[in-house]
Amino acid sequence: MSDAPFLSLEKLTLAYGDTVAVKDLDLSIRKGELVAFLGPSGCGKTTTMRSIAGLLTPASGRISLDGADITRVSANKRSVGLVFQSYALFPHLSVFENVAFGLRLKKLPASEIETRVTAGLKSVGLSKFAARKPAELSGGQQQRVALARSMVMEPKVLLLDEPLSNLDARLRLEMRTELQRVQKETGVTMIFVTHDQGEALSLADRIVVMLNGAIEQIGTPEDIYNRPVSRFVADFVGFENIFAVEGGKLKAANGPIALSESLPPDTAGFAWRPRMVTLGSGPFQGTVRGASFSGSTREYLLDTPLGAIKAEEDAGLAAHQPGTELTFDLPVAKAARLERFG
Amino acid sequence: MTPRVFSPLVLFLVIAFLIGPFFIIVAASLSGGETLAFPPQGFSLKWVAKVFTVESFRESFAVSMFLAIGGTAMALVLGIPASYALSRYKLPFGETVRTIVSLPIIVPGIIVGLALLRYIVVPFGFNITLALFLAHTALVLPYAVRVVSASLNNLRSDIEEAAVLLGSSRAGAFFRVVMPNIRSGILAAFILGFVTSFNQVPVSLFLSGPGVRTLPIDMLSYMEITYDPSVAALSALLAFMSIGIVFLAERFLGFSRYV
Amino acid sequence: MFHNRAEALALALPAAVFAAIVFLAPVVILLAEGFRNADSWSLTAYVDFFTDPLNRTVFLRTFRLGLMVTAVSAVIGYAAAFAIVNLSPRNKGQMIGLVVLPLMISSVARTYAWIVILGRTGIVNQALQLIGLSDEPIRFLFTETAVFIGLLQLFLPLMILSLISALENMPKDAIPAARVLGANWFQVFWKVILPLTKEGLVIGGTLVFTGSLTAYITPAILGGSKVLMLETLLYQRVTVANDFVAASVIAFILIVMSFAANLLLKRLATARNKR
Repeated sequence: MSDAPFLSLEKLTLAYGDTVAVKDLDLSIRKGELVAFLGPSGCGKTTTMRSIAGLLTPASGRISLDGADITRVSANKRSVGLVFQSYALFPHLSVFENVAFGLRLKKLPASEIETRVTAGLKSVGLSKFAARKPAELSGGQQQRVALARSMVMEPKVLLLDEPLSNLDARLRLEMRTELQRVQKETGVTMIFVTHDQGEALSLADRIVVMLNGAIEQIGTPEDIYNRPVSRFVADFVGFENIFAVEGGKLKAANGPIALSESLPPDTAGFAWRPRMVTLGSGPFQGTVRGASFSGSTREYLLDTPLGAIKAEEDAGLAAHQPGTELTFDLPVAKAARLERFG
Repeated sequence: MTPRVFSPLVLFLVIAFLIGPFFIIVAASLSGGETLAFPPQGFSLKWVAKVFTVESFRESFAVSMFLAIGGTAMALVLGIPASYALSRYKLPFGETVRTIVSLPIIVPGIIVGLALLRYIVVPFGFNITLALFLAHTALVLPYAVRVVSASLNNLRSDIEEAAVLLGSSRAGAFFRVVMPNIRSGILAAFILGFVTSFNQVPVSLFLSGPGVRTLPIDMLSYMEITYDPSVAALSALLAFMSIGIVFLAERFLGFSRYV
Repeated sequence: MFHNRAEALALALPAAVFAAIVFLAPVVILLAEGFRNADSWSLTAYVDFFTDPLNRTVFLRTFRLGLMVTAVSAVIGYAAAFAIVNLSPRNKGQMIGLVVLPLMISSVARTYAWIVILGRTGIVNQALQLIGLSDEPIRFLFTETAVFIGLLQLFLPLMILSLISALENMPKDAIPAARVLGANWFQVFWKVILPLTKEGLVIGGTLVFTGSLTAYITPAILGGSKVLMLETLLYQRVTVANDFVAASVIAFILIVMSFAANLLLKRLATARNKR
């Protein structure tokens, strides 16, 4: 994995007619990276992916791949593979012919096509199904055909649109392993689009969180999970207690609360996961309003002067009954420091 | 009285009303008598045989066949690309285009025929066969667009994108992955267009000239002159032809999905 | 969805231009002719048309026959469609096939059969004389009754098919639920079936009504010059009197009625899609 950018998007603006879907997006991806585009629907992640594939011409900006400007290169000459969310297999062709489709267009010799398709099908474990029609396969099998169909073309970048969303839990785990294996064996650069933070965290080397057509944060799964930089990302990865900071003070329901620590000037807020809240000691007071037991932990909902607070404790500790008054603390040292709050 | 008792009777009567006349035609055409009658007077195939000897029937049959095949083919040549544009592209004035190509189904055929005669055939000196061809093409166009659009809409459009990403050109993607998958829709459109055009009367009423008229028009004028069972025989033969085509289409295509 | 405008237009324009030139332009010119008087726009042709009592009769007859055929086919259609949807799937398919079948047969052939049935020496007259209800042949052909029967036979299948699909889309347990709540069959129809299938009724009704309105063959064969309808009147005005102005007026009336019916259909279809 070299550090030079392999795929880069510069000032990319994408629009459908008059509707701007992505604005001035900059991003560079290294060779062999596995990147996730994560965000809610309508954030521009799929649009960005389609522009990389060449299915959508940018309104402005530049896309370059492997040192060449491909912004105006048509989709059929880009060496970019795409596994569609619906798999988009050709219903009238057998599994073998589906996988051979692109190779035949390249006018490769029949023997080479045979070899590559056979190898491709073998690598996804579908050798036995070569003669079947797509409709005779299960969803998971169809997806593996789609994967093989893209991979035999030896693309420079492989794009995957919501690769796990149509699969049940067991297949999802299988596919996740499969994708990691393919990536490891071939070293192909992979980008996948997902709205599921769990998928992104478990699979990607790097995550690009998008919102409203712009990048909200780029980072490793650890960065994103532990150090979200904006309220949106914090909320998206499961932070529950999120407060703005204004003039060095925490903005709470009943007025600002002074913080003892001196804060970096760009601090816009703090966020705590429920388990980061210390119960039983600290400067704040609240009433337990509700409790729920989830096996290893208990989660509490507290009514406090700061607003509603969610806290979590080991289930091994004694339970706090609803109505109990509790002291608690929101330790700034544990909190995620947000640079944007909007 | 509950529907359970009532239903079979109703059904029997309705089907008899709808289908019965067809059997009567068949029976009347097998009559040995000289005039149209039911029950038939004796049995004979002479009227069936006579159909094939009437010169004008042979000529107008050829005209109708040409119109039904040629007009439908032309309607598909125009209609398939239009359906494709309507279903896959963000077409400027798409609704207007859709309306214009489907209008001929709403406007009564007799008006289309008259308008063509008066403002195209006469002023521009078109011959009748060409005018009939244009009229039948226009008439079948709405069916072609409707049926082909329906099968395009049942086909996911991302397979074309997949084909393009695998190296195909846009046109190549259409012929390699779209056409093979809408083939039965196109065939269904062809059959529907053929039957519609072949049986069509009003549009051709004003468009007949010396030696050129469609078969149904020829039958209408034959009926005014003679009262023998040959028209019944011809009707029966045509009905069997239509039923045969539709039966085969249903058998092999599941035709009714498209209509 | 693709966004290449030039490509889209290149694909769609041939069909649109063809329909516009071969069909739209001539029809529009024809219709305009009815509103011209010498060099100015006028409604004289329409006033003249409706002043003639024969034309009024034909207009009203066409309208009346259209309504009657629609109403009767609705009543029969409900009974038949209800009987068909309650059959086993196999029988249902066959019955639907039998209903569709006549639609595939030339309407000339279908109408011609009624000459055999209703003619002077036809089955009906033979039967009436045989059982002594009548001494001499009754004239059925060239009466409104004959035209009505012919039209009903021609268009009834469209109503039945529309109602079958409406009945099949009805919530499955609506009828048993109404029965359990104490409704008799009449109430079940009026309060449950009719409201739930009224779209199908309107669709079928529109098809039958416009079909009857614009029918040519049936009135031509079974009505002759005695029972003219608008289309046969149009044909007669053109071929007998060379009167293109009257033809244009009739054409306009037919188109307005067809369009009104189709607009209603389209509105219903979109209303249903929104839901």
